[in-house]
Amino acid sequence: MNFDLTLIWDSVPRMLAGIGITFQLMALSAFLGMILAVILLLMRLSGKWYWSWPAQVFIYVFRGTPILVQIFIIYYGLPQLDFVRESILWPILREPFGCAIVALSLNTGAYVSEILRGGVLGVDRGFLEAASALGLKAHQKFIYITTPIAARLALPAYSNDFISLMKATSLASTITLMDMTGWRRLLRPTRYLFH
Amino acid sequence: MRILKSLVIGAVALSAASAVSAQDTLRVGMECTYAPFNYRTADGELAGYDVDVANGVAEIMGVELEFVCQQWDGMIPALLANKFDLIVASMSITDARLEKIDFSGPYRDSVGRLIAANGRDLGLFDEAGDPIAASFDGLRVGLERASTYENWFNAKLPGAEIVLYDGSEPLYLDLANGRVDMIMTNPMKAQERFLDGDAGADFEFVSPAISEVEFFGVGVGIGLRQGQEELRDELSAAIRELVDNGSLTEYALKIFPFPIHNPEWGNN
Repeated sequence: MNFDLTLIWDSVPRMLAGIGITFQLMALSAFLGMILAVILLLMRLSGKWYWSWPAQVFIYVFRGTPILVQIFIIYYGLPQLDFVRESILWPILREPFGCAIVALSLNTGAYVSEILRGGVLGVDRGFLEAASALGLKAHQKFIYITTPIAARLALPAYSNDFISLMKATSLASTITLMDMTGWRRLLRPTRYLFH
Repeated sequence: MRILKSLVIGAVALSAASAVSAQDTLRVGMECTYAPFNYRTADGELAGYDVDVANGVAEIMGVELEFVCQQWDGMIPALLANKFDLIVASMSITDARLEKIDFSGPYRDSVGRLIAANGRDLGLFDEAGDPIAASFDGLRVGLERASTYENWFNAKLPGAEIVLYDGSEPLYLDLANGRVDMIMTNPMKAQERFLDGDAGADFEFVSPAISEVEFFGVGVGIGLRQGQEELRDELSAAIRELVDNGSLTEYALKIFPFPIHNPEWGNN
């Protein structure tokens, strides 16, 4: 195997053709995942078992299975059910981009909700007691005291998850999307060189 | 220092071992998932036309085989990286591939056909069997990554929207799921694995067999690294013998109602 620098030099601009898709995948699923994460978090913190249990099951399933398997089940598995193809979601699930966004959002949502929960649980009791003493109601305490402190506590862990999410977007190339990895996989066999 | 020394000894031992084993054991790369040409049966045994050909050739040459499973799009890099010695994986002999590797003579026809939902009159081909480029504009066509079909489409029908897949099974799935309008693939395999099954009932071939030598090569051959002329000629001679003694026909008839090679490829 020869190490061909000019090949690398030539390939970089062609791989950049996929950078748009890569960033769209990352930004959209980070945004949708965050919304999902907050919903899951509120469900878990609600104290009602009928809210908390479904959220726990969802988080358990999506953190406990590989993202590649989730992408394949959503892309190849769901359309085999006839009602999925007749549903209003089909225009989204028909497109590989839609499937990738759904899979990445559900996955990152499960992880981020646990990160946020860690932040919320890390808020010092003293702050909440002080807020109670000042006469703040439960929702006021959550918005003005818990949220800013929890967000600061969760930020380092969240930044890690964001990086993982960006790397996970490369799996979209397995369902025909031409992101950066997709272009790389197109280039490789045409040159028959790098493995 | 001692570590370095043992590494060097290990490397020498390894290279010596491979020089010996190259004499009597050849490692054969194939996908192991490309039924009915190379796949695993329910009991985990490798079977199929490619496997039969490899075993037939090995018997004539008097060598042992060791099968290695490798994904399609990394097949040639893996051969070049010495992960195995031969490719017997339904790989067509094309000029582009000949720049990197060498091939034996052909042992199977190389053709492609288009499959789409039946009853759709798309008006894709004229009476002479040539594609009408305008009819393909905007159609979504599923192809296997790094296949000869991809080259043919890029050259002939640039108006079609090409979607690339990692294997043939996902192709059938996405055609059935309605994500692509048509697929181009190996007709023998598609008949056996898709059209004859339940999922394939609503689909049919919508093109003649396409086998232009410029894109599809003279046929499917055994791939090997360049600079091994002796081995290549031995492989070619063994294949010619399989053509002449009827073995290739026998292998094909196990799966298809017809042979899938050209009888002129023999010695006679």
